[in-house]
Amino acid sequence: MGVEQENGTPTEMVPASEQDISDELDVKVKKYLRGEGANLEALQDKKLKGQLVIREELYGKSAKAAAKAEKWLMPSEGGYLEAEGIEKTWRIKQESIAREVDILSSKNQYDIVLPELGPYTLDFTSSGRYMAVGGRKGHLAIIDMKNMGVIKDFQVRETVRDVVFLHNELFFAAAQKKYPYIYNRDGTELHCLKEHGSVLKLQFLKNHFLLASINKFGQLHYQDVTMGEMVGNYRTGLGRTAVMQVNPFNGVVGLGHSGGIVTMWKPTSSAPLVKMLCHHGPISALAFHPNGHLMATAGMDKKIKLWDLRKFEVLQTLPGHAKTLDFSQKGLLATGTGSFVQILGDFSGTENYSRYMGHSMAKGYQIGKVLFRPYEDVLSIGHSMGWSCILIPGSGEPNFDSWVANPFETSKQRREKEVHSLLDKLPPETIMLDPTKIGTVRQSRKREKPTKQERKAEMEAAVEDAKSIPLRKKMKGKNKPSKKVKKREEAVARAKKPFLERQMEEENLSTKKQKISGEIELPKSLQRFARKKATT
Amino acid sequence: MAEKKRKSKEESGGGRLQKKRKNSKPKTLKKRTGPRLPSKLRKELDLVNPNPLKGGGDEEINSDEGELLANNLYEYEEAAAEEESKKNRRFDSVENFEYELPEDFKDENIASDDDDIEGEDEENNRSENSSHLGDEVEEEDDGRHMRMLQGITGMPSEAFEGKKRKNNVVVSEAYPESEYNPSRDVLEGNGRISIQDLLDPLHGKSGYSKLRKRMHQVERKSMSVHAPLPKADREKLERKVAYEQSKKDITKWEPLVKKNREAPTVYFDEDVDLGFSTVGAIASEFEPRTDFEKKIASLVHDDKVLEAHRQDGSRLLELNKISVEDVKERHNRIAKMRSLLFNHEMKAKRIKKIKSKTYHRLLKKDRLKTASAEIQMDPEAAKELAMKQEFKRAEERLTLKHKNSSKWAKRILKRGLDVQDEGTRAAITEQLHQHALLTRKMHSMKDTSSDESSDEDDFDENSAGSDEDGASKLLAKAKEKTLEVLEEEDKIPDSGVLSLPFMVRGLKKRKEAAYEEGKLAINEFEASLKQMELGGGAENLKETASSGRRVFGTVKKQIQEFSNKDAHYNNSDSEDEFKVKENIEAANDQNNNLPKHVDIDAGLLREESEIGQDPIFKSFNDIVRDPGPKTTYEVAMFASGSWKKMKSENEANGNIIKPPKSVEPPRHNKDQGEVGGDSDTDDEGQMVDGTLSSGMKATYELPSQAELIRRAFAGDDVEEDFEKDKDEILKGENPEPEKPVLLPGWGQWTHVQQKKGLPSWMLEEHEIAKKKREEALKKRKDAHLKHVIVSEKLDKKAEKLHTKTLPFPYTSKEVFEQSIRMPIGPEFNPAVVLGALNRPEVVKKAGVIIKPIKYKDVNPHEGVEEHGQGGKKQNTKKSKGMGGKTIKKTNNLKR
Repeated sequence: MGVEQENGTPTEMVPASEQDISDELDVKVKKYLRGEGANLEALQDKKLKGQLVIREELYGKSAKAAAKAEKWLMPSEGGYLEAEGIEKTWRIKQESIAREVDILSSKNQYDIVLPELGPYTLDFTSSGRYMAVGGRKGHLAIIDMKNMGVIKDFQVRETVRDVVFLHNELFFAAAQKKYPYIYNRDGTELHCLKEHGSVLKLQFLKNHFLLASINKFGQLHYQDVTMGEMVGNYRTGLGRTAVMQVNPFNGVVGLGHSGGIVTMWKPTSSAPLVKMLCHHGPISALAFHPNGHLMATAGMDKKIKLWDLRKFEVLQTLPGHAKTLDFSQKGLLATGTGSFVQILGDFSGTENYSRYMGHSMAKGYQIGKVLFRPYEDVLSIGHSMGWSCILIPGSGEPNFDSWVANPFETSKQRREKEVHSLLDKLPPETIMLDPTKIGTVRQSRKREKPTKQERKAEMEAAVEDAKSIPLRKKMKGKNKPSKKVKKREEAVARAKKPFLERQMEEENLSTKKQKISGEIELPKSLQRFARKKATT
Repeated sequence: MAEKKRKSKEESGGGRLQKKRKNSKPKTLKKRTGPRLPSKLRKELDLVNPNPLKGGGDEEINSDEGELLANNLYEYEEAAAEEESKKNRRFDSVENFEYELPEDFKDENIASDDDDIEGEDEENNRSENSSHLGDEVEEEDDGRHMRMLQGITGMPSEAFEGKKRKNNVVVSEAYPESEYNPSRDVLEGNGRISIQDLLDPLHGKSGYSKLRKRMHQVERKSMSVHAPLPKADREKLERKVAYEQSKKDITKWEPLVKKNREAPTVYFDEDVDLGFSTVGAIASEFEPRTDFEKKIASLVHDDKVLEAHRQDGSRLLELNKISVEDVKERHNRIAKMRSLLFNHEMKAKRIKKIKSKTYHRLLKKDRLKTASAEIQMDPEAAKELAMKQEFKRAEERLTLKHKNSSKWAKRILKRGLDVQDEGTRAAITEQLHQHALLTRKMHSMKDTSSDESSDEDDFDENSAGSDEDGASKLLAKAKEKTLEVLEEEDKIPDSGVLSLPFMVRGLKKRKEAAYEEGKLAINEFEASLKQMELGGGAENLKETASSGRRVFGTVKKQIQEFSNKDAHYNNSDSEDEFKVKENIEAANDQNNNLPKHVDIDAGLLREESEIGQDPIFKSFNDIVRDPGPKTTYEVAMFASGSWKKMKSENEANGNIIKPPKSVEPPRHNKDQGEVGGDSDTDDEGQMVDGTLSSGMKATYELPSQAELIRRAFAGDDVEEDFEKDKDEILKGENPEPEKPVLLPGWGQWTHVQQKKGLPSWMLEEHEIAKKKREEALKKRKDAHLKHVIVSEKLDKKAEKLHTKTLPFPYTSKEVFEQSIRMPIGPEFNPAVVLGALNRPEVVKKAGVIIKPIKYKDVNPHEGVEEHGQGGKKQNTKKSKGMGGKTIKKTNNLKR
C-alpha cells in the first residue's frame, strides 16, 4: 500500500527525454487551442485567408505559451491511492491514510460532533478557505479552514435548511423556516428575501451573481444579489423538491423532481431547457461534473446514473442509493447514503466510474450532505451529529489559480477581486446549455407568416402609438387645430406605411408565384414548343 | 467614260473604216476558234494586225488630245484599267465574261504589250458593238464598203487606214521627255532606265570600278526598304511598349503593397513629433511679422510701458472704487422701483382677473364718465371723441345695424311685436333708440357752450337716473346671490376625500370666512341701497369718481373690527346690531357705494385677513379644531378596537386552520416531498415550543407500510406521464394543424355538395401542414431521445448574444465560428501575444497627416515583420527615398 498525498509539495521530476516533454506540451497546446482551426484552403477570399493565417499563428503562440506556463509553473500533481497486490483502494481506511500523510493533511481528518442542532449542511467558498455550516435547528457558523477557527457562529432559533456562500466569505445566505436570509460574516442579518418563500435549497451562480432557490411549492427564483432585482420566478409545476444543483460549466440549474424527472433551467425562460426522465422513482440527488458534460443522478429506484449532457444519454448505471452526490474538482464522485460514504472515480479517463474509496461513519449518523473541499483532498460530510472531514487523495485540484480562487487571499486582494468580479458580471441571458455558442451565427428561425389578424393588430398598435405621441406646442401660426389634425393624420399614415408596403409586397409576390407556377405547368415534352419570350 | 462615249460617237459618225475593222475583228476571233477560217486570211491578219491597231490607239490619242492634256498624261492608262476593274458599269458585265473566258486569247495578250492594248481595244470595240446592236446593219454596210474597196484596189484594208494613223503618231507629246514627264515607254515599263544604263557612260572614268563593285554589292544584298507603317499601327505599337514598361514599373510596387495589405496592422508615421501641445506653447512661439504686429509688439514689450503699468496698476484700481453708500443707495432705489412695479403688476393682474359682468359694465360706464369729464377739460380729447362719434354715426348710417335689420329683429317683426313678451319688445325699442342715438347729428364742436351745457345736463340727468336705477337693481341682485350662496354652502360632502376630518375642518374654516365676507357684502349692499334711498337724485350730481379712497380706509377699519368681533363672538347674533351701526356710519361716509367698490373691498378684505390677522384666525382655527381631534381620536379608538377584534378573529381563524395539518393529496408522485414537509413542520413545532434542548432524537424513522408500497410503485406510470408531457410540449412548440372544418351550413346546400365533403384544397393544405410539422419534429434535437425533451423555445433576451448574419469577410459559418473560438482577453492569453491579438488595424497618431506611400525594397518572400522593427525600417528607408524618380502613389494602393 502506498499513499501519495501531495498538495503543494512538488513531485520529483524524473528527467524525461525531450520527446516526452514535447509530446506533453503538444497535448497541452492542443488543449489551449480550444479546437481546430478552420480549413483555410477552402477559403476563396485571399485577404481573409491571410488575416486568418496570422490570427491562427497568434493563437498557436498563445497556446504554446500557456502550455509552457502550465508545464513549468504548475508543478504540483494530484495524488492518488495506489493499491499493491490484492489490496483494494476502497478497503483502505482513513486511519491508515492518516498514518501516511503529513501533519498538515492529517489535520484535515476530524469529526465535529454537535448532536443538538443537527443534521448539518455545508458550503465552501470557491477557494475552499471558508466553510459555512448550517444546523437544521438554527445553528449557523462560518469556519476558517486554514486555522480551524470559528469566525462566527450563532443561533437563528429557526429551521435552517440550507446555507450557501455568496461571491466571497463576507456574505452567506441561509434558507430558514419562512424565508431565506442573507447574513454577513459577523452574523448580522442583511436581507430577508421574502419573495423566495420558504426555500428548501439554495444555490449561488458566481459568475452571474444570481441566487437561485427552490421553495416548498416548487417555485424557482433567481435573484440578482448585486442590485436585488428578481431576475426570474418560475413555477416548475413538478411538485416539491429539494434537489437542486448548478452546472458550474454553464450556470444552468438542474432540478430533480419526484417523477424521476430532471429539469434544467435558465433564468430567462419560463420553460425548462431540458426535461429528462432519469429514474423511475423520485430523484434523491444530483451532481454536475466541473467540466459540465457529466451529470450524476441518484433515484429512489436504487440506481445511480451517469449522464452525458452533450448527448443526453446514460453513460453508466450503478446500483445503490444516494442521498447526496458531489463531484470533486478532479472528477471523483462522492455518494452518501445512511451513514456510508462511497467515492467513485474513473482513473482510466473513459468516464467509466468504479469504486475508489469508502468510508462509514458511526452507526446512526445520517449523512445529509457530502461536499468536496476545493483545492484540497478533503471531503466534508454533513450529518445528523455534526460534520466530519475525511481525506480523499486525488480529489482536489492541486494548483490553484490566484486569479480564479486564492485560498491565501488577503483582504486587499479580496476587495480587488470583488470589484473585478462585479465588473465582469455576466448578464443572466448568457446562461445557456452551450455557452461556447455565444457570438456564433444563429439565423432567426423563419417565423410563420403573421396572420392577418396579427398584422392588423400590430398595425393598430402602431397607429395608436403614433396617435398617443403628444404634439409639441408650436409657434402662433403653426398651432392651428387644422394643422394639428393634419400632423396627426400624417403620423398615422407614416405608422401605417410599412405595413401597407409589406402587404403590397406580399401580394406582388403571390401574383409572381402564380405566374411562375403557370409557366412551369407546361409539360416538359411540350416545353420546347413554347414561344420563347423576346428578350429585349 | 465621257471619253469612251465620245470615242464611240466618233467611231460611229467619223470613221467608217474603223468600224469595218472592228467588225472584222470578231470575225477573226470567231474564226480562230472555228476550223473554217481560210489560212490566207489568217496570215494576212497576222501580218496586218499589229500596225493598224497601234495606229488605232494613236488615232485615239490624237483625237482625244485636247481632253487628255487637260486630264494629265498619267491618266491615260487608267482609262483602260478603269473598265477592267469593273468600275465602269456602263458595260454589260455578262458580255465581259464572254470575252474574258477564252484562254488562248489571253495568252496572246500576255505575249506583247501591244497586243494587250489591242485586246483592250477589241474589248472596247466589242462592247461597243454589243451595246450598239442597232448599228450592226450600218457597220455591215461599212464592212461591205471596205471589201469593195479592197476588191477594187487590191490593197489590204490597212492601207486605207494606215495612212491616216502614221500621221498621227508623229505628234505625240506636249512636253519634252523628262523624269517628270516620262515617255510612254518608260511608263509601260519597256524602256526603263537601269543602273547599268547609268553606269555605262561612266565606263573608263576614274572610280568606275569602285562604283561598279559597290553596285554589285548592293545588288547582291538587295535590301528593300519597306514603306513606313500607318500611323495608327505605329501608335498602337508604341502604346504597347509603353504599357510593358509601365507594367514593369508598377510591378516593383507589388511586394510593398502586398506587404501592407497582408500586414495585420499598418503603422503610419510613428515617430513624428506632433510639435506644440498647448496653446501657451504655440503662443510663445509667436513672432511679429507684419508692420502692425511689430508695432504692437514694440508697444507691448516696451519697458517703460511695462514699468508704468506695474506702478499704476494699483492706482487704476483705486479709481474704480465706488463708495458703499452710493451702492447702497442705488440698490435701494432699484429695489423700491422694483417693488412698486411688482405691486402695480399684481394689482393690475387682480383687477384683470375680475370676471363679474356688473363690475365690467360699471367700469365701462365709469370710464365713459371720466371721458366726458375729460371732454370738458380738454378740447383735444373732445375733438377726438367727436371724431369717434362721427365715425360711429357714419358707420351706423351705412350699415343700419340697429335699424331692425338683423335676422333676429326681422323674425320678431315678422311675427308681430304684439305677440312678443315685454323683454323682447323692450330690446327692440332699445335697438331703435340706439340707432336714433347713433344717427343723431352731432353738433359741431364750435357750437355755443350754452346749448351744449343744457344738452349735457339733460344727458347727465338721464344717465344718472338710469345709473341709480341700475345700481339699485344690481345691488339687490347681488345681495340675493350672496345670500343664496351662503345658504348653499351649508352642505358638506359626506363621502370622498372631502369627508376626511382635516378636510372638513378646512372647509369649515373657509366657509366661515366666506360667510363673513358674504355678510359684509350684504351689509354693504343694504347700506348702499339705503343710502340710495336716502340720498335721492340730487346728491348724485355731487358724486365723483375719485371718492373711493376715503371709503377704502373706513371699510378696512370696519372690516378689522368686524372680523375681530367675529372671532371673539364666534358668529353671535350681536353682529347684526353692530353692523347696523356701522352701516349708518358708512352711509354717512359713503355717498355712492358702487358695486365695484364693494367687490374691491371684498378682495381687500380677503387680503387683509390673510396678511394681517393671522393670529386671530389661528385662534379661530383652534376653536374650530378643538372638537376635531376629539372625534378623530374616537374614531381611532374605535378603529383600533375593531382592528383588535379583527385580529383576534384572525387568530381564531389561524387556530382553526392550523390544527388540521394539510391533508396529503392523493397523487403519489409527490408523496416523498410531502413527507419531508411534514417532518419540517414537526421540527418547527419543536422550535416554537422552545424544546431546543431536547436530547438527540433518532431522525430516521422507518416509513410506514403503505408508504413503502407507494414508493415501490412510484415509477409505474412515470414513463407514460413523461410521454404525455412530451407530446404536449411538442404540440405547444410545433402546433398541430387545425382540422379542416367548414362553417356549419356552408357548402351544404345540396345533397351533392354534402357528399363531396371538404374541398380538396383544404385537405391538401392540411396534409402539407401535417408534413411540415413532421419534418419539424424530426429536426428537433430530442427527436431520437425518448426520455428527453429539449426546449426549442427561442430566448429573445439571448438573441442579442448571437449574430443573425455572417460578418462581412466571412462566407462560411464554420470558418467564422472557428475564428472566434479563442478568447483574446488578458485572462486567457499570455502577455506575449496579447498586444498582437488586440491591436487595431491602423495605428496612427491623431492629427498627423498620412503621407503617400514611398517606394522601398521589400523582400516579397519574407513574412510579416514584427512591429517595432518594421516601423523603424519604414522610416529609415523613407529618408533615403527613390532619388530623382518619384512616383507618387496614394494610400489607396494599400487597400
